[in-house]
Amino acid sequence: MDDLTMLRRLGEDLEHEPPATLALQRRRLPDGLPGAPSRPLNRPRWIRGWAMIGLAAAITAAVLVAPTVLLENLGRVAAPVPSPTGARPTKPNEALNVLLVGTDGRPGPAFRGNGLDARSDTMVLLHLSADRGRVGVVSIPRDSMVRIPACVSPAGTAVPARTDMINSAFATGGLSCVWKTVEILTKVRVDHAMEIDFSGFREMVDALGGIEITVPQAVDDPKAKLKLRKGRQILNGEQALGYVRARYSLGDGTDLERIKRQQRFMRALAQKAGGLLTDPVRLSAFLDKASAAIRTDAGLDLPTMRSIFDSLKETRPEAVEFVTVPVRPHPADPHRLEWDRSAAERLFTRLREDAG
Amino acid sequence: MVHTMTAPPTTGTRDSDLLEESLTRPEAFSALFDRYSGMLYRYVSRRLGPEVAEDLVGETFLVAFGRRAHYDLAYADARPWLFGIATKLVSRHHRTEAARYRALRRAPVEGVVESPAERVVAEVAARTSRPVLAGALAGLAAKDRDVLLLIAWCDLSYEEVARSLGIPVGTVRSRLNRARRKVRAALGDADPMHEEE
Repeated sequence: MDDLTMLRRLGEDLEHEPPATLALQRRRLPDGLPGAPSRPLNRPRWIRGWAMIGLAAAITAAVLVAPTVLLENLGRVAAPVPSPTGARPTKPNEALNVLLVGTDGRPGPAFRGNGLDARSDTMVLLHLSADRGRVGVVSIPRDSMVRIPACVSPAGTAVPARTDMINSAFATGGLSCVWKTVEILTKVRVDHAMEIDFSGFREMVDALGGIEITVPQAVDDPKAKLKLRKGRQILNGEQALGYVRARYSLGDGTDLERIKRQQRFMRALAQKAGGLLTDPVRLSAFLDKASAAIRTDAGLDLPTMRSIFDSLKETRPEAVEFVTVPVRPHPADPHRLEWDRSAAERLFTRLREDAG
Repeated sequence: MVHTMTAPPTTGTRDSDLLEESLTRPEAFSALFDRYSGMLYRYVSRRLGPEVAEDLVGETFLVAFGRRAHYDLAYADARPWLFGIATKLVSRHHRTEAARYRALRRAPVEGVVESPAERVVAEVAARTSRPVLAGALAGLAAKDRDVLLLIAWCDLSYEEVARSLGIPVGTVRSRLNRARRKVRAALGDADPMHEEE
Protein backbone atom coordinates (compact mmCIF):
# COMPACT_ATOMS: atom_id res chain seq x y z
CA MET A 1 0.00 0.00 0.00
CA ASP A 2 1.55 3.29 -0.98
CA ASP A 3 1.75 6.42 1.11
CA LEU A 4 -1.14 8.17 -0.64
CA THR A 5 -3.44 5.19 -0.07
CA MET A 6 -2.47 5.09 3.57
CA LEU A 7 -3.09 8.80 3.85
CA ARG A 8 -6.54 8.35 2.32
CA ARG A 9 -7.37 5.71 4.91
CA LEU A 10 -6.21 7.98 7.67
CA GLY A 11 -8.36 10.74 6.21
CA GLU A 12 -11.42 8.50 6.17
CA ASP A 13 -10.89 7.64 9.79
CA LEU A 14 -10.54 11.26 10.78
CA GLU A 15 -13.62 12.35 8.90
CA HIS A 16 -16.84 13.38 10.59
CA GLU A 17 -20.28 13.41 9.02
CA PRO A 18 -21.81 16.85 8.70
CA PRO A 19 -24.39 17.47 11.44
CA ALA A 20 -27.89 18.58 10.51
CA THR A 21 -27.12 21.95 12.07
CA LEU A 22 -24.60 22.68 9.33
CA ALA A 23 -27.49 23.95 7.25
CA LEU A 24 -27.83 26.82 9.71
CA GLN A 25 -24.52 28.18 8.44
CA ARG A 26 -26.30 29.09 5.24
CA ARG A 27 -27.94 31.87 7.18
CA ARG A 28 -24.60 33.62 7.50
CA LEU A 29 -24.64 34.38 3.83
CA PRO A 30 -25.51 38.02 3.37
CA ASP A 31 -29.18 38.58 3.69
CA GLY A 32 -28.95 41.01 0.83
CA LEU A 33 -31.16 38.76 -1.15
CA PRO A 34 -33.21 41.52 -2.63
CA GLY A 35 -36.67 40.64 -3.74
CA ALA A 36 -36.66 37.16 -2.27
CA PRO A 37 -40.36 36.78 -1.53
CA SER A 38 -39.84 34.15 1.15
CA ARG A 39 -37.77 36.61 3.17
CA PRO A 40 -39.52 39.94 3.02
CA LEU A 41 -37.16 42.71 4.02
CA ASN A 42 -39.71 44.22 6.34
CA ARG A 43 -40.06 41.07 8.37
CA PRO A 44 -39.03 41.80 11.95
CA ARG A 45 -35.64 40.37 12.80
CA TRP A 46 -36.78 38.53 15.86
CA ILE A 47 -38.94 36.15 13.89
CA ARG A 48 -35.92 34.67 12.22
CA GLY A 49 -34.22 34.50 15.58
CA TRP A 50 -37.07 32.61 17.12
CA ALA A 51 -37.43 30.30 14.20
CA MET A 52 -33.77 29.44 14.35
CA ILE A 53 -33.65 28.83 18.05
CA GLY A 54 -36.78 26.77 17.78
CA LEU A 55 -35.37 24.72 14.97
CA ALA A 56 -32.07 24.17 16.63
CA ALA A 57 -33.72 23.20 19.86
CA ALA A 58 -36.28 20.93 18.27
CA ILE A 59 -33.85 19.23 15.96
CA THR A 60 -31.21 18.85 18.60
CA ALA A 61 -33.69 17.48 21.06
CA ALA A 62 -35.10 15.11 18.50
CA VAL A 63 -31.78 13.93 17.17
CA LEU A 64 -29.81 13.69 20.38
CA VAL A 65 -32.05 13.17 23.32
CA ALA A 66 -34.93 11.19 22.00
CA PRO A 67 -33.06 8.25 20.51
CA THR A 68 -30.50 7.97 23.29
CA VAL A 69 -32.97 8.38 26.06
CA LEU A 70 -36.58 8.04 25.17
CA LEU A 71 -36.32 4.97 23.00
CA GLU A 72 -34.56 3.07 25.73
CA ASN A 73 -37.39 3.82 28.06
CA LEU A 74 -40.08 1.26 27.55
CA GLY A 75 -43.07 2.78 29.23
CA ARG A 76 -44.37 6.12 28.20
CA VAL A 77 -45.61 8.18 31.12
CA ALA A 78 -47.88 10.79 29.60
CA ALA A 79 -51.17 9.91 27.94
CA PRO A 80 -50.90 9.92 24.16
CA VAL A 81 -52.15 12.89 22.15
CA PRO A 82 -55.44 12.11 20.40
CA SER A 83 -55.32 12.58 16.65
CA PRO A 84 -57.66 15.15 15.08
CA THR A 85 -61.31 14.27 14.63
CA GLY A 86 -63.48 15.03 11.62
CA ALA A 87 -62.49 15.20 7.96
CA ARG A 88 -58.75 15.11 7.40
CA PRO A 89 -56.54 15.53 4.34
CA THR A 90 -55.88 12.24 2.57
CA LYS A 91 -52.46 10.67 2.60
CA PRO A 92 -51.34 10.73 -1.04
CA ASN A 93 -47.93 9.09 -0.74
CA GLU A 94 -45.47 7.52 1.67
CA ALA A 95 -43.90 10.80 2.71
CA LEU A 96 -44.11 11.42 6.43
CA ASN A 97 -45.13 14.69 8.05
CA VAL A 98 -44.59 15.21 11.75
CA LEU A 99 -45.67 18.23 13.72
CA LEU A 100 -43.20 19.15 16.47
CA VAL A 101 -44.28 21.60 19.10
CA GLY A 102 -41.80 22.81 21.69
CA THR A 103 -43.25 24.36 24.82
CA ASP A 104 -41.77 26.44 27.57
CA GLY A 105 -43.54 24.14 29.98
CA ARG A 106 -43.87 26.30 33.09
CA PRO A 107 -43.42 24.58 36.43
CA GLY A 108 -44.36 20.95 36.41
CA PRO A 109 -45.30 18.78 33.49
CA ALA A 110 -46.93 20.91 30.84
CA PHE A 111 -49.58 18.40 30.07
CA ARG A 112 -50.97 17.38 33.38
CA GLY A 113 -54.48 17.63 32.04
CA ASN A 114 -55.67 20.99 30.92
CA GLY A 115 -52.48 22.03 29.14
CA LEU A 116 -53.43 25.60 29.92
CA ASP A 117 -50.22 26.53 31.62
CA ALA A 118 -47.92 25.70 28.75
CA ARG A 119 -47.06 28.04 25.90
CA SER A 120 -45.80 26.83 22.59
CA ASP A 121 -42.48 28.41 21.77
CA THR A 122 -41.79 26.57 18.61
CA MET A 123 -43.80 24.94 15.89
CA VAL A 124 -42.13 22.93 13.22
CA LEU A 125 -43.53 20.74 10.51
CA LEU A 126 -41.03 18.06 9.70
CA HIS A 127 -41.34 16.52 6.25
CA LEU A 128 -39.58 13.29 5.36
CA SER A 129 -39.73 12.37 1.68
CA ALA A 130 -41.16 8.99 0.69
CA ASP A 131 -37.65 7.62 0.14
CA ARG A 132 -36.54 9.34 3.38
CA GLY A 133 -33.68 10.91 1.46
CA ARG A 134 -34.84 14.47 1.94
CA VAL A 135 -35.93 16.31 5.03
CA GLY A 136 -37.85 19.54 5.07
CA VAL A 137 -38.14 21.62 8.21
CA VAL A 138 -40.92 24.16 7.92
CA SER A 139 -41.17 26.44 10.88
CA ILE A 140 -44.48 28.06 11.62
CA PRO A 141 -44.16 31.48 13.27
CA ARG A 142 -46.09 31.29 16.49
CA ASP A 143 -47.59 34.76 16.09
CA SER A 144 -49.30 33.88 12.81
CA MET A 145 -52.92 35.01 12.83
CA VAL A 146 -54.89 32.07 11.50
CA ARG A 147 -58.33 30.53 11.53
CA ILE A 148 -58.49 28.09 14.41
CA PRO A 149 -61.22 25.46 14.19
CA ALA A 150 -63.48 24.45 17.03
CA CYS A 151 -61.57 22.16 19.33
CA VAL A 152 -62.11 20.26 22.52
CA SER A 153 -59.57 21.14 25.18
CA PRO A 154 -57.63 18.34 26.90
CA ALA A 155 -59.88 18.95 29.91
CA GLY A 156 -62.95 18.29 27.78
CA THR A 157 -64.28 21.82 27.30
CA ALA A 158 -65.45 22.90 23.87
CA VAL A 159 -63.47 25.81 22.42
CA PRO A 160 -65.25 27.64 19.58
CA ALA A 161 -63.67 28.44 16.22
CA ARG A 162 -62.02 31.85 15.91
CA THR A 163 -59.24 33.82 14.27
CA ASP A 164 -56.27 34.11 16.59
CA MET A 165 -52.54 33.54 16.91
CA ILE A 166 -51.65 29.97 16.11
CA ASN A 167 -49.97 29.41 19.43
CA SER A 168 -53.26 30.15 21.16
CA ALA A 169 -54.56 26.96 19.55
CA PHE A 170 -52.04 25.15 21.69
CA ALA A 171 -52.76 27.14 24.83
CA THR A 172 -56.49 26.47 24.71
CA GLY A 173 -56.87 23.22 22.82
CA GLY A 174 -53.57 21.45 23.32
CA LEU A 175 -51.53 19.65 20.71
CA SER A 176 -54.51 18.00 18.98
CA CYS A 177 -55.98 21.42 18.31
CA VAL A 178 -52.73 22.68 16.75
CA TRP A 179 -52.60 19.49 14.74
CA LYS A 180 -56.11 20.04 13.41
CA THR A 181 -55.42 23.73 12.73
CA VAL A 182 -52.28 22.95 10.76
CA GLU A 183 -53.97 20.26 8.70
CA ILE A 184 -56.83 22.58 7.77
CA LEU A 185 -54.52 25.48 6.93
CA THR A 186 -52.04 23.49 4.91
CA LYS A 187 -54.19 20.64 3.57
CA VAL A 188 -51.13 18.53 4.36
CA ARG A 189 -51.84 15.22 6.05
CA VAL A 190 -49.87 15.35 9.29
CA ASP A 191 -49.12 11.78 10.27
CA HIS A 192 -47.81 12.34 13.75
CA ALA A 193 -47.44 14.98 16.37
CA MET A 194 -44.94 15.39 19.16
CA GLU A 195 -44.71 17.81 22.01
CA ILE A 196 -41.40 18.58 23.69
CA ASP A 197 -41.32 20.41 26.99
CA PHE A 198 -38.09 22.35 27.11
CA SER A 199 -38.48 23.21 30.76
CA GLY A 200 -38.18 19.49 31.36
CA PHE A 201 -34.51 19.89 30.55
CA ARG A 202 -34.01 21.63 33.86
CA GLU A 203 -35.26 18.58 35.67
CA MET A 204 -33.32 16.27 33.41
CA VAL A 205 -30.12 18.10 34.24
CA ASP A 206 -30.81 17.85 37.95
CA ALA A 207 -31.65 14.18 37.66
CA LEU A 208 -28.24 13.73 36.05
CA GLY A 209 -26.56 15.46 38.95
CA GLY A 210 -25.65 18.47 36.83
CA ILE A 211 -23.77 18.95 33.59
CA GLU A 212 -20.13 19.90 33.34
CA ILE A 213 -19.58 22.89 31.07
CA THR A 214 -16.64 25.18 30.42
CA VAL A 215 -17.74 28.77 30.72
CA PRO A 216 -15.40 30.95 28.64
CA GLN A 217 -15.89 34.10 30.70
CA ALA A 218 -17.57 35.06 33.96
CA VAL A 219 -21.27 35.77 33.56
CA ASP A 220 -23.51 38.07 35.55
CA ASP A 221 -26.78 38.38 33.71
CA PRO A 222 -29.70 39.48 35.88
CA LYS A 223 -32.00 39.17 32.87
CA ALA A 224 -31.27 35.48 32.53
CA LYS A 225 -30.91 35.20 36.34
CA LEU A 226 -27.49 33.79 35.77
CA LYS A 227 -24.26 34.27 37.66
CA LEU A 228 -21.35 32.03 36.77
CA ARG A 229 -17.63 32.12 37.29
CA LYS A 230 -15.23 31.52 34.46
CA GLY A 231 -13.97 28.00 33.79
CA ARG A 232 -15.02 24.40 33.99
CA GLN A 233 -17.87 23.77 36.40
CA ILE A 234 -20.93 21.73 37.03
CA LEU A 235 -24.17 23.54 36.31
CA ASN A 236 -27.43 22.55 37.97
CA GLY A 237 -30.69 22.57 36.04
CA GLU A 238 -31.56 26.18 36.73
CA GLN A 239 -28.09 27.43 35.83
CA ALA A 240 -27.95 25.23 32.75
CA LEU A 241 -31.22 26.64 31.49
CA GLY A 242 -29.99 30.19 32.05
CA TYR A 243 -26.78 29.30 30.31
CA VAL A 244 -28.45 28.06 27.16
CA ARG A 245 -30.95 30.91 27.09
CA ALA A 246 -28.67 33.85 27.87
CA ARG A 247 -27.89 35.94 24.88
CA TYR A 248 -26.23 39.25 25.64
CA SER A 249 -23.98 38.36 28.52
CA LEU A 250 -22.32 35.45 26.77
CA GLY A 251 -20.50 35.13 23.47
CA ASP A 252 -21.06 37.65 20.73
CA GLY A 253 -24.77 38.08 21.38
CA THR A 254 -25.86 36.48 18.12
CA ASP A 255 -28.49 33.80 17.77
CA LEU A 256 -26.03 31.56 16.02
CA GLU A 257 -23.71 31.77 18.96
CA ARG A 258 -26.54 30.90 21.30
CA ILE A 259 -27.61 27.98 19.14
CA LYS A 260 -24.09 26.64 19.24
CA ARG A 261 -24.04 26.96 22.99
CA GLN A 262 -27.31 25.07 23.13
CA GLN A 263 -25.87 22.35 20.98
CA ARG A 264 -22.76 22.03 23.11
CA PHE A 265 -24.98 21.80 26.14
CA MET A 266 -27.23 19.19 24.55
CA ARG A 267 -24.23 17.17 23.54
CA ALA A 268 -22.86 17.29 27.08
CA LEU A 269 -26.29 16.26 28.33
CA ALA A 270 -26.51 13.33 25.93
CA GLN A 271 -23.00 12.24 26.88
CA LYS A 272 -23.72 12.38 30.55
CA ALA A 273 -26.93 10.45 30.01
CA GLY A 274 -25.02 7.87 28.01
CA GLY A 275 -22.52 7.52 30.82
CA LEU A 276 -25.29 6.68 33.25
CA LEU A 277 -25.96 3.26 31.84
CA THR A 278 -23.98 1.79 34.71
CA ASP A 279 -25.87 3.77 37.34
CA PRO A 280 -29.37 2.30 37.29
CA VAL A 281 -30.84 4.43 40.06
CA ARG A 282 -29.84 7.73 38.56
CA LEU A 283 -30.59 6.52 35.06
CA SER A 284 -34.15 5.62 35.87
CA ALA A 285 -34.71 8.99 37.55
CA PHE A 286 -33.40 10.65 34.42
CA LEU A 287 -35.49 8.57 32.06
CA ASP A 288 -38.55 9.44 34.08
CA LYS A 289 -37.92 13.15 33.60
CA ALA A 290 -36.99 12.79 29.97
CA SER A 291 -40.01 10.78 28.99
CA ALA A 292 -42.25 13.16 30.91
CA ALA A 293 -40.93 15.95 28.72
CA ILE A 294 -41.92 14.31 25.46
CA ARG A 295 -45.41 13.39 24.44
CA THR A 296 -46.66 11.96 21.17
CA ASP A 297 -49.74 10.59 19.51
CA ALA A 298 -50.52 6.90 19.99
CA GLY A 299 -49.62 6.06 16.39
CA LEU A 300 -46.06 7.24 16.87
CA ASP A 301 -44.87 4.00 18.37
CA LEU A 302 -41.27 3.13 19.10
CA PRO A 303 -40.40 1.54 15.73
CA THR A 304 -41.91 4.47 13.83
CA MET A 305 -40.09 6.94 16.01
CA ARG A 306 -36.86 5.06 15.62
CA SER A 307 -37.19 5.09 11.86
CA ILE A 308 -37.82 8.82 11.88
CA PHE A 309 -34.79 9.50 14.04
CA ASP A 310 -32.68 7.12 12.02
CA SER A 311 -33.53 8.88 8.80
CA LEU A 312 -32.84 12.22 10.45
CA LYS A 313 -29.46 11.01 11.56
CA GLU A 314 -28.63 9.54 8.15
CA THR A 315 -29.80 12.50 6.13
CA ARG A 316 -27.07 14.56 4.61
CA PRO A 317 -27.34 18.21 5.64
CA GLU A 318 -27.46 19.26 2.01
CA ALA A 319 -30.72 17.37 1.85
CA VAL A 320 -32.26 19.25 4.75
CA GLU A 321 -34.14 22.33 3.75
CA PHE A 322 -35.06 24.89 6.39
CA VAL A 323 -37.99 27.07 5.43
CA THR A 324 -40.30 29.40 7.27
CA VAL A 325 -43.94 29.68 6.26
CA PRO A 326 -44.03 32.86 4.16
CA VAL A 327 -45.51 35.61 6.30
CA ARG A 328 -45.88 39.37 6.36
CA PRO A 329 -46.92 41.81 9.08
CA HIS A 330 -50.62 41.62 9.78
CA PRO A 331 -52.41 44.67 8.34
CA ALA A 332 -54.45 45.18 11.48
CA ASP A 333 -51.59 44.66 13.94
CA PRO A 334 -47.96 44.95 12.84
CA HIS A 335 -46.87 42.89 15.85
CA ARG A 336 -48.71 39.91 14.45
CA LEU A 337 -48.21 38.09 11.20
CA GLU A 338 -50.37 36.84 8.42
CA TRP A 339 -49.47 34.11 5.98
CA ASP A 340 -48.68 35.08 2.44
CA ARG A 341 -51.43 32.88 1.04
CA SER A 342 -50.18 32.24 -2.47
CA ALA A 343 -46.55 31.68 -1.45
CA ALA A 344 -47.63 29.45 1.43
CA GLU A 345 -49.88 27.50 -0.91
CA ARG A 346 -46.93 26.84 -3.25
CA LEU A 347 -44.87 25.61 -0.31
CA PHE A 348 -47.56 23.28 0.99
CA THR A 349 -48.37 21.97 -2.47
CA ARG A 350 -44.77 20.81 -2.64
CA LEU A 351 -45.13 19.15 0.72
CA ARG A 352 -48.35 17.42 -0.32
CA GLU A 353 -46.84 16.22 -3.56
CA ASP A 354 -43.53 15.32 -1.94
CA ALA A 355 -41.89 17.26 -4.78
CA GLY A 356 -38.12 17.58 -4.66
CA MET B 1 -38.31 19.22 -1.77
CA VAL B 2 -38.96 22.56 -0.21
CA HIS B 3 -36.31 24.53 -1.94
CA THR B 4 -37.21 28.04 -0.95
CA MET B 5 -39.69 28.89 -3.55
CA THR B 6 -37.56 31.67 -4.92
CA ALA B 7 -35.01 29.17 -6.09
CA PRO B 8 -35.41 28.21 -9.74
CA PRO B 9 -34.77 24.61 -10.71
CA THR B 10 -31.04 24.27 -10.53
CA THR B 11 -30.57 20.61 -11.27
CA GLY B 12 -27.79 20.08 -13.73
CA THR B 13 -26.75 23.71 -13.59
CA ARG B 14 -23.00 24.20 -13.67
CA ASP B 15 -21.33 25.86 -10.70
CA SER B 16 -20.05 28.62 -12.96
CA ASP B 17 -23.62 29.31 -14.15
CA LEU B 18 -24.73 29.64 -10.56
CA LEU B 19 -21.85 31.97 -9.78
CA GLU B 20 -22.61 34.09 -12.81
CA GLU B 21 -26.28 34.21 -11.90
CA SER B 22 -25.42 35.13 -8.31
CA LEU B 23 -23.82 38.37 -9.52
CA THR B 24 -27.24 39.75 -10.32
CA ARG B 25 -29.31 37.43 -8.15
CA PRO B 26 -27.34 36.79 -4.93
CA GLU B 27 -29.75 34.15 -3.71
CA ALA B 28 -28.56 31.83 -6.50
CA PHE B 29 -25.39 31.48 -4.45
CA SER B 30 -27.13 29.45 -1.77
CA ALA B 31 -27.42 26.56 -4.23
CA LEU B 32 -23.64 26.25 -4.02
CA PHE B 33 -23.94 25.98 -0.28
CA ASP B 34 -26.46 23.19 -0.68
CA ARG B 35 -24.18 21.41 -3.09
CA TYR B 36 -20.89 21.63 -1.31
CA SER B 37 -21.26 22.43 2.38
CA GLY B 38 -21.26 18.73 3.28
CA MET B 39 -18.20 18.04 1.18
CA LEU B 40 -16.29 20.93 2.73
CA TYR B 41 -17.38 19.90 6.21
CA ARG B 42 -15.92 16.44 5.71
CA TYR B 43 -12.65 17.90 4.49
CA VAL B 44 -12.31 20.39 7.33
CA SER B 45 -13.38 17.83 9.94
CA ARG B 46 -10.47 15.65 8.82
CA ARG B 47 -7.98 18.43 9.31
CA LEU B 48 -9.33 20.27 12.33
CA GLY B 49 -11.96 18.03 13.89
CA PRO B 50 -15.70 18.61 14.17
CA GLU B 51 -15.51 21.43 16.73
CA VAL B 52 -14.28 24.07 14.32
CA ALA B 53 -15.54 22.58 11.08
CA GLU B 54 -19.09 23.87 11.13
CA ASP B 55 -18.07 27.45 11.67
CA LEU B 56 -15.25 27.27 9.18
CA VAL B 57 -17.52 25.96 6.44
CA GLY B 58 -19.88 28.87 7.06
CA GLU B 59 -16.95 31.25 6.82
CA THR B 60 -15.73 29.61 3.62
CA PHE B 61 -19.02 30.38 1.92
CA LEU B 62 -19.05 33.88 3.32
CA VAL B 63 -15.60 34.54 1.84
CA ALA B 64 -16.56 32.84 -1.41
CA PHE B 65 -19.67 34.96 -1.64
CA GLY B 66 -17.60 38.11 -1.25
CA ARG B 67 -15.20 37.01 -3.96
CA ARG B 68 -17.66 35.58 -6.41
CA ALA B 69 -17.15 38.46 -8.83
CA HIS B 70 -13.51 37.40 -9.22
CA TYR B 71 -14.32 33.80 -10.08
CA ASP B 72 -13.05 32.73 -13.48
CA LEU B 73 -16.23 31.57 -15.18
CA ALA B 74 -14.22 29.49 -17.64
CA TYR B 75 -14.07 26.80 -14.94
CA ALA B 76 -17.41 25.02 -14.62
CA ASP B 77 -16.45 23.19 -11.42
CA ALA B 78 -16.16 25.46 -8.38
CA ARG B 79 -14.87 22.80 -6.02
CA PRO B 80 -11.15 23.60 -6.35
CA TRP B 81 -11.94 27.25 -5.67
CA LEU B 82 -13.98 26.38 -2.56
CA PHE B 83 -11.38 23.87 -1.33
CA GLY B 84 -8.76 26.59 -1.78
CA ILE B 85 -10.68 29.08 0.34
CA ALA B 86 -11.33 26.48 3.02
CA THR B 87 -7.66 25.47 2.99
CA LYS B 88 -6.55 29.06 3.53
CA LEU B 89 -8.94 29.35 6.45
CA VAL B 90 -7.72 26.03 7.85
CA SER B 91 -4.17 27.39 7.84
CA ARG B 92 -5.22 29.94 10.44
CA HIS B 93 -5.69 27.01 12.76
CA HIS B 94 -2.36 25.34 12.03
CA ARG B 95 -1.67 24.87 15.74
CA THR B 96 -4.95 23.03 16.22
CA GLU B 97 -4.21 20.91 13.21
CA ALA B 98 -0.71 19.93 14.24
CA ALA B 99 -1.93 19.18 17.77
CA ARG B 100 -4.67 16.99 16.32
CA TYR B 101 -2.18 14.87 14.39
CA ARG B 102 0.22 14.76 17.31
CA ALA B 103 -2.54 13.53 19.59
CA LEU B 104 -3.20 10.79 17.10
CA ARG B 105 0.45 9.88 17.21
CA ARG B 106 0.23 9.36 20.93
CA ALA B 107 -3.14 7.67 21.07
CA PRO B 108 -3.85 6.10 17.72
CA VAL B 109 -7.33 4.86 18.46
CA GLU B 110 -8.85 7.56 20.56
CA GLY B 111 -10.92 10.15 18.81
CA VAL B 112 -10.88 8.19 15.62
CA VAL B 113 -14.17 7.40 13.97
CA GLU B 114 -15.08 3.76 14.19
CA SER B 115 -14.41 1.92 10.98
CA PRO B 116 -16.32 -1.07 9.64
CA ALA B 117 -15.44 -4.25 11.41
CA GLU B 118 -14.23 -6.34 8.48
CA ARG B 119 -11.18 -4.99 6.82
CA VAL B 120 -8.34 -6.78 5.22
CA VAL B 121 -4.84 -7.41 6.41
CA ALA B 122 -3.52 -4.37 4.60
CA GLU B 123 -5.77 -2.38 6.84
CA VAL B 124 -3.98 -3.69 9.87
CA ALA B 125 -0.73 -2.44 8.43
CA ALA B 126 -2.36 0.92 7.79
CA ARG B 127 -3.60 1.07 11.34
CA THR B 128 -0.30 0.23 12.94
CA SER B 129 1.47 2.81 10.82
CA ARG B 130 -1.19 5.45 11.50
CA PRO B 131 0.60 7.07 14.45
CA VAL B 132 3.70 7.39 12.32
CA LEU B 133 1.72 8.82 9.44
CA ALA B 134 0.01 11.32 11.70
CA GLY B 135 3.36 12.29 13.18
CA ALA B 136 4.75 12.86 9.71
CA LEU B 137 1.76 15.06 8.80
CA ALA B 138 2.27 17.12 11.93
CA GLY B 139 5.91 17.63 10.97
CA LEU B 140 5.31 18.85 7.42
CA ALA B 141 5.63 22.48 6.41
CA ALA B 142 2.11 23.90 6.28
CA LYS B 143 2.31 24.72 2.57
CA ASP B 144 3.52 21.25 1.67
CA ARG B 145 0.77 19.70 3.77
CA ASP B 146 -1.90 21.77 2.03
CA VAL B 147 -0.82 20.44 -1.35
CA LEU B 148 -0.48 16.86 -0.15
CA LEU B 149 -3.92 16.81 1.45
CA LEU B 150 -5.68 18.54 -1.43
CA ILE B 151 -4.36 15.71 -3.60
CA ALA B 152 -4.88 12.82 -1.21
CA TRP B 153 -8.10 13.88 0.50
CA CYS B 154 -9.86 16.11 -2.02
CA ASP B 155 -8.86 14.21 -5.16
CA LEU B 156 -7.84 17.37 -6.95
CA SER B 157 -5.52 17.20 -9.94
CA TYR B 158 -2.20 19.09 -9.95
CA GLU B 159 -3.77 21.77 -12.12
CA GLU B 160 -6.74 22.10 -9.78
CA VAL B 161 -4.50 22.39 -6.74
CA ALA B 162 -2.50 25.07 -8.54
CA ARG B 163 -5.68 26.97 -9.27
CA SER B 164 -7.12 26.56 -5.80
CA LEU B 165 -4.00 27.84 -4.04
CA GLY B 166 -3.03 30.35 -6.70
CA ILE B 167 0.44 28.84 -7.31
CA PRO B 168 2.16 27.48 -10.44
CA VAL B 169 1.78 23.78 -11.26
CA GLY B 170 5.54 23.37 -10.93
CA THR B 171 5.31 24.51 -7.34
CA VAL B 172 2.52 22.01 -6.71
CA ARG B 173 4.76 19.23 -7.97
CA SER B 174 7.75 20.24 -5.93
CA ARG B 175 5.73 20.68 -2.73
CA LEU B 176 3.99 17.37 -3.26
CA ASN B 177 7.28 15.57 -3.90
CA ARG B 178 8.84 17.03 -0.80
CA ALA B 179 5.84 16.13 1.32
CA ARG B 180 5.62 12.57 0.03
CA ARG B 181 9.34 12.07 0.49
CA LYS B 182 9.02 13.01 4.14
CA VAL B 183 5.97 10.85 4.68
CA ARG B 184 7.60 7.87 3.02
CA ALA B 185 10.78 8.37 4.99
CA ALA B 186 8.79 8.35 8.21
CA LEU B 187 6.89 5.23 7.16
CA GLY B 188 10.01 3.50 5.92
CA ASP B 189 11.86 4.15 9.15
CA ALA B 190 9.07 2.87 11.29
CA ASP B 191 7.61 0.09 9.24
CA PRO B 192 9.92 -2.67 8.07
CA MET B 193 7.00 -4.22 6.16
CA HIS B 194 6.78 -1.23 3.92
CA GLU B 195 8.48 -1.51 0.55
CA GLU B 196 9.52 1.42 -1.51
CA GLU B 197 7.84 1.53 -4.89
